[in-house]
Amino acid sequence: MLLPVFTLKLRHKISPRMVAVGRYDGTHTCLAAATQAGKVFIHNPYARRQHLNTPRLLQSPLDADVSLLNINQPVSCLTAGVLNPELGHDCLLVGTQTNLLAYDVYNNSDLFYREVIDGANAIVLGTLGDIPSPLAIVGGNCALQGFDYEGNDLFWTVTGDNVHSLALCDFDGDGKKELLVGSEDFDIRVFKEDEIVAEMAETETITSLCPMYGSRFGYALSNGTVGVYDKTARYWRIKSKNHAVSIHAFDLNSDGVRELITGWSNGKVDARSDRTGEVIFKDNFSSAIAGVVEGDYRMDGHVQLICCSVDGEVRGYLPGGAEMKGNLMDTSVEQDLIRELSQKKQNLLLELRNYEENSKAESSSPVNESDGQRGIIPANTKLQTALSVNLGSDSQAAHVELRISTSNDTIIRAVLIFAEGIFTGESHVVHPSIQNLSSCIRIPITPPKDVPVDLHMKTFVGYRNSTQFHVFELTRQLPRFAMYALSNPDPTKEPLSFVNFTVNERVQRVVMWLNQNFLLPEDSEIQNAPFQVCFTSLRNAGHLCIKIKPSGEITVSTDDIDLAGDIIQSMASFFAIEDLQVEADFPVYFEELRKILVKVDEYHSVHQKLSADMADHSNLIRSLLVRAEDARLMRDMKTMKKRYVELYDLNKDLLNGYKIRCNNHTELLSNLKAVNQAIQRAGRLRVGKPKNQVVNACRDAIRSNNLNMLFRIMRVGTASS
Amino acid sequence: MELTLNRSDYLQVGVTSQKTMKLLPASGRRATQKVVVGDQDGVLACFGIKKGEAVPVFKTLPGLKIARLELGGALNAPQEKIFVATGSEIRGFTKRGKQFLSFETNLTESIKAMYVSGSDLFLCASYIYNHYCDCKDQHYYLSGDKINDVICLPVEKLPCIIPILACQDRVLRVLQGSDMMYEVEVPGPPTVLALHNGNGGESGEDLLFGTSDGKLGIIQITTSNPVHKWELRNEKKRGGVLCVDYFDIVGDGVKDLLVGRDDGVVEVYGFDAANEPVLRFDQALSESVTSIQGGCVGKDGYDEIVLTTYSGWITGLTTEPVHKESGPGEELKINQEMQNKIASLRSDLEHLQLKVIQERERYQQSSQSSPAISAAPSFSVNDKFTFDKDDASYSLILEVQTAIDNVMVQSDVPVDLLDVDKNSAVVSFSNSDLEANENFLLATYRCQANTTRLELKIRSIEGQYGTLQAYVTPRIQPKTCQVRQYQIKPLSLHQRTHFIDHDRPMNTLTLTGQFSFAEVHSWVVFCLPEVPEKAPAGECVTFYFQNTFLDTQLESTYRKGEGIFKSDNISTISILKDVLSKEATKRKINLNIAYEINEVSVNHTLKLIHPKLEYQLLLAKKVQLIDALKELQLHEGNADFLIPEYRCILEEADRLQEEYKRQPAHLERLYGMITDLFIDKFKFKGTNVKTRVPLLLEILDSYDHNALVAFFDAA
Repeated sequence: MLLPVFTLKLRHKISPRMVAVGRYDGTHTCLAAATQAGKVFIHNPYARRQHLNTPRLLQSPLDADVSLLNINQPVSCLTAGVLNPELGHDCLLVGTQTNLLAYDVYNNSDLFYREVIDGANAIVLGTLGDIPSPLAIVGGNCALQGFDYEGNDLFWTVTGDNVHSLALCDFDGDGKKELLVGSEDFDIRVFKEDEIVAEMAETETITSLCPMYGSRFGYALSNGTVGVYDKTARYWRIKSKNHAVSIHAFDLNSDGVRELITGWSNGKVDARSDRTGEVIFKDNFSSAIAGVVEGDYRMDGHVQLICCSVDGEVRGYLPGGAEMKGNLMDTSVEQDLIRELSQKKQNLLLELRNYEENSKAESSSPVNESDGQRGIIPANTKLQTALSVNLGSDSQAAHVELRISTSNDTIIRAVLIFAEGIFTGESHVVHPSIQNLSSCIRIPITPPKDVPVDLHMKTFVGYRNSTQFHVFELTRQLPRFAMYALSNPDPTKEPLSFVNFTVNERVQRVVMWLNQNFLLPEDSEIQNAPFQVCFTSLRNAGHLCIKIKPSGEITVSTDDIDLAGDIIQSMASFFAIEDLQVEADFPVYFEELRKILVKVDEYHSVHQKLSADMADHSNLIRSLLVRAEDARLMRDMKTMKKRYVELYDLNKDLLNGYKIRCNNHTELLSNLKAVNQAIQRAGRLRVGKPKNQVVNACRDAIRSNNLNMLFRIMRVGTASS
Repeated sequence: MELTLNRSDYLQVGVTSQKTMKLLPASGRRATQKVVVGDQDGVLACFGIKKGEAVPVFKTLPGLKIARLELGGALNAPQEKIFVATGSEIRGFTKRGKQFLSFETNLTESIKAMYVSGSDLFLCASYIYNHYCDCKDQHYYLSGDKINDVICLPVEKLPCIIPILACQDRVLRVLQGSDMMYEVEVPGPPTVLALHNGNGGESGEDLLFGTSDGKLGIIQITTSNPVHKWELRNEKKRGGVLCVDYFDIVGDGVKDLLVGRDDGVVEVYGFDAANEPVLRFDQALSESVTSIQGGCVGKDGYDEIVLTTYSGWITGLTTEPVHKESGPGEELKINQEMQNKIASLRSDLEHLQLKVIQERERYQQSSQSSPAISAAPSFSVNDKFTFDKDDASYSLILEVQTAIDNVMVQSDVPVDLLDVDKNSAVVSFSNSDLEANENFLLATYRCQANTTRLELKIRSIEGQYGTLQAYVTPRIQPKTCQVRQYQIKPLSLHQRTHFIDHDRPMNTLTLTGQFSFAEVHSWVVFCLPEVPEKAPAGECVTFYFQNTFLDTQLESTYRKGEGIFKSDNISTISILKDVLSKEATKRKINLNIAYEINEVSVNHTLKLIHPKLEYQLLLAKKVQLIDALKELQLHEGNADFLIPEYRCILEEADRLQEEYKRQPAHLERLYGMITDLFIDKFKFKGTNVKTRVPLLLEILDSYDHNALVAFFDAA
């Protein structure tokens, strides 16, 4: 059994995920973590030899080895590492919702302090692609920004939604690091510098990412899933009812391959094999895990795995040596194997017995209702499923209808559908009351997003009075655009917005794509170009028209820019298109965007004005305070009182001003997010190189504040005419 | 004294019932003992262990399920005759497997509990106790509630035969002949009885009991009255006790108490100088421990604890070290044994796999032909639906012999499903659909691999009643599921008690009409938990209940044509009135309901609630302050500047937080009950005060006892 080589109890709380290990003086390993009240503490067990105490770093009153750094704002991300290779030691990077601080602990100086308007939800430090100097990459509100040690903004791009996790990993095996970005829209995106090379759809917000080795990386979701990807293929995943707070790759069993170490919200730490997900080691803390990191904390030349809990407990583990034979848990492998094999044997025996009993029951009597109680049904009972579009009625909104029916008089007691991302939980249960039981069930489904989903159905079939039911397990795929119903072409309702592009594909292939991605009635047949299909969205009754000309030119008209993007991306992957230039026009959306951009300007100027006001006020306060104190010393109570009343009023004004500033800031943030999203959406309308061109050109246009240029790029895809 | 035990699994038999495994006494020169075990397939098997392999001695053919297994023999001689209870029959076997006894008891129900002492045989069906001597009927007793276990004090030490019944209504009934000498109330429903030290202690009168809520205790059963010696309160919230044994596993000359629980925990208690139990060892297995005994089975010279689990695993927890200190050669040999075992298992598996594939194909083919039928294979589900007094919630435990795939929970009453830390299953709630299908709760538990046991916690609301259903699907082909139903009773938070305070102000509800005793009893069963399903003997019966949440009480006395219910809580009376009139209308019985309301009782109930509410409010306030105080402490470096009250909070922070976490929504539930009380008080007066409830909640938000009483009086 692997035991911790050291255990520390720090008397400070540790905020989840805010833990980093660094050598801030170049030699001694220290642990830095965010704690309560907007502070960061640095635990330096070698403090006696070296004094970190400087005016900015306060000695902690609770712990001799701990120094505190006051950030005065809730810390939203933290990391440590080499940002300036010439410096010879690590620096600490602390991100908050508005700023990023790069702090040189040893010299007690700021490397830089930058405002990051999009916030810093996640941070990663390292080299990216061909950029020579190490970058501190922060992910915020749909945006990614990379800074070098001087605070120069060397990297910028946008992504689909709020960034929650970042990692650097050599994804394509070219020896250079790519950036992995996990965001709130459930996607993991891989950036080769600013080009998106891969996108993987997950089922929940991606909360953590970590590189394992080569192109393999681990990920964790907010619903308790952890798993490992190799490139775009998922190796394995497991789901727990607890949340994975922190994941880290570390070779704990000394087999030369790093395992995925997960710190859970219930205080559990486990190490799982990267190939199978099998648990090879676990340990328990008394409170939730805050972070899992590695470092040579004992300064003996061996790197330990360091796990910290939110209550400040820190344990370090050395990798198991050769004598443990990779067996880190206290039960012996053979015993477990025997248990597993015996269990398998028992299961097989049970199954055999089931068949035996079945044939016994078969020979004994013909089937009737009364047998239903024992769970006997005709052997030829079949289950039919059908997906169709239901346009809804007055009482029920439009939805996709899943119809499940049995082939005889047996009834369906209940249906369990396991599918991710379309229900509130991971499953949906339909359990008709006893008087509504029948052999057919209609289940309304309304997927919130246009993604293809596998519906794993478990149907309990039996009779009305059964206590045992047969479970029929079936899987159906819900097409990506299931929420669009075929409708008759109506030129008057055709949307104003459209995208135009050309593909070199036969019409039959396009029809195949249509059939695979939409729920078309069976009798609809489309033969040759040119043709036109129209759909109505079940969510908002918006229209979608797809027109194909014999030349292969396709026009997709819809007012929903996201839908247009989804269709293009779906087609591109179906037809294996690498680069696609698209002409687009979304007059309504562009008009909205224009308004937002104007607003952003307004908010910016308000922000500046408010900041100036605040500075004025604070000067006033200073002078008032001096005058009030003067009055007090002069024993002029009347004047003093007057001054203090003034001060009080001023303070109230300041507080109000702060509230306004706050509101202004949130408004600004949401608008900036909309702008970032607009760029991302414009990019999604294109595929491959043109996509990156659009994103970069848009950004330049916004920098130079050239709105007309921006819209031009969004329309035609390039800046130049 | 550190006790380390290593687990080794010997064999798997069929699903086992409680107390169905024993070790035969060692015979001859051999020191190792043989294991006898009976399973629910009716197979009695006896085997010994040689070099880690199970070597069978004998095995009987399958039959009716074996409910109990005991060893017997002449008094003061080795107890090596095997007695098993199957159905209503007792069979006896010698240690070689020869059947020497087959005794059909003519009981109408199957035997649930058995005890053997010399030529005396004590048998219990659900409610009936029978004493046989040399298979001749001697005594008979009809118990008021279900009998869980039976034992008899050692006849060698005592002048007469004193059998004791462990009954579900939380009493031990001490008998003499066919009469009851006295009842002993114990803290929970007793599930298992054993003689202290294996022989009843020095006096032979010390009796150990274990309860379904995990408590243990010793009572001295003297001829005149019981003497409580000690009790273990189950602070760690472990499972119910299923089996106990006394064996000196520590090796200090004092017999230790071995305990097996239904959550898979095995415990060893030693006894200190004052004869108080001290926990020496505990280990958690993944499924219920049905039988436990100490002895020497695996290897000569190493004592061990042998236990059986629900799914039929026979496991040893042995003192034999895993890694021998002897030379490297020995270890190799152990490995060789293991390897052989694994190899033979693997070949078995391959063989079976082929057979299963064939059968599977045949099954598939049969589904093509039209007249064929397909029977859902049955599997046994071991379920337990019990009330936990400490947090006033129900716990539902489901255990299946093979791994569970998923459990779907459906309820037509509003109940809350609480998270249980021990569970690793992923829970997912579906939107309830009320209008069409009366589903208040729909949830799925998707279990991780190898989960055979699932525990759920359910919080109910008094007055809301209906059925909770659990659909259990195990991971076995062909896939089937079984549904289990559990009643949520209208007065779900009440518990049977045997004594109440008669001086409290009482409200009375009187039922009169043309109904039989059985009918009125069935209504009481319908409304209240812990009432035996069978109508008790006699013309008139009285049951006492206690509301575990508020400590209010209920007395129900009924006979043919009349039922009287008295409670100091007006809400209890109101619920009873609603439910009874609804039930009577459903069955078209003309029922006269009269009630007598005592105004004083409302203030009395409020007074009962007052300390609980005040405590909870204070607790909530304290917990709210903890974070802020800790931050201050961090800022200032110490807590010396704080007032003593705050310093005290800081010191107790961990305990407070834990307590707060342990009773979620306690305050909300109290508020709900006060609101009910308010509404019910005026309902009996014929006024509807629902519009005033927001006002009441406002008062509760800034709680003051006097203001609350004034509000109740004024409205």
